[in-house]
Amino acid sequence: MSATPAAAAPPVVGRQGHYAGAVTRLVAFAADVGASWGIFTLALAGISFAVDLVTGNQINLGSRQFVALFGLIVWEFIYFAYQWSLAGKTIGMAVLGIRVVSKDGDAITAKQAVVRTITLPLSFLFFGLGFLGILLNKDRHAWHDRLARTVVVYSWDARAARLRWLAKQEPTTPV
Amino acid sequence: MRSCGDGPDPVAVRAVSPLPGASRMELLVESIAERVVNLVLDAIDINAIVSKVDVDALIDRVDVQKIIDRVDVDEIVSRVDVDQIVGRVDVEAIIERVDVEAIIGRVDIEQVIQRVDIDKLVEQTELGTIIAHSTSGVASEVLDVVRAQGVGLDDFVAKWVNRLLRRSSEDWPPGPPILVNPPLPVPALPLETSG
Repeated sequence: MSATPAAAAPPVVGRQGHYAGAVTRLVAFAADVGASWGIFTLALAGISFAVDLVTGNQINLGSRQFVALFGLIVWEFIYFAYQWSLAGKTIGMAVLGIRVVSKDGDAITAKQAVVRTITLPLSFLFFGLGFLGILLNKDRHAWHDRLARTVVVYSWDARAARLRWLAKQEPTTPV
Repeated sequence: MRSCGDGPDPVAVRAVSPLPGASRMELLVESIAERVVNLVLDAIDINAIVSKVDVDALIDRVDVQKIIDRVDVDEIVSRVDVDQIVGRVDVEAIIERVDVEAIIGRVDIEQVIQRVDIDKLVEQTELGTIIAHSTSGVASEVLDVVRAQGVGLDDFVAKWVNRLLRRSSEDWPPGPPILVNPPLPVPALPLETSG
């Protein structure tokens, strides 16, 4: 039994550029929600500490929930829109090895990134009905993908991963 | 007295001929026979005879395999001085006559690369160790595993959805055309040569 999990089985090969599946996208989104909320909470704590340090007054967001919610919405918009327009991927997507591209495969524009971010909540309506398209459509379109004319594809180099895995194995016979 | 001309030795003839006078007779017959043979040979048209021979039929009757079996190739090869043959070859002259550019131009590099088994190469050579040293890291290994598991689960879910909906997704496009079927690279322009 090997110590590293990567040595257990060779990774999947040859999916770069293919439409990403529902599980990978869901996990990436969950990771992004965690990351964005974590960063938002840390930032609030930092601001609260700085204000407390300078003025001696503590910020109590409990009485300003609307402000906190508005700040969170603005932050989420910046988090997703900025990263998508910059590299076509968020932190969670980078970890899972997927990225957003235009419907034809080109890099997405800043406009598409903004439209996708704004329309993302629409897919949550009616118990997440908008996400069903990832499972049912041939282009794996969610509602916000359709509106922004984008698709999500695998971007990680599984071939390199396989070579790394093979490299970990002991050489059998010299060539 | 006997003449010492051409023909059989009279002493020898006498030794094999018990009857007196037979030796002269034998000499005569022998010279006549020799003359007749010469006349016959002159009269024969060898070309005409050869033209009547069915060479193909003759060859068909020859068991070439049997002849080959009887040839000791090892013996022949062992007699060949390869060093001497190689020594007489002017390699420089041969190389100078080879148009390397033309050969390279005819080589389909893409096809050559496709025939190389990269996996086997990495697995069986020191190249694998080099890659391992250059890209090793727990984080990259964990990412590889997480991503591979994700792809596996994607396939699993997609397969069951297709099964429940009783449909086949084999004809579906795997991804955007540009990414799945990238356009062929533009061939490089030929270099300008002076003269």
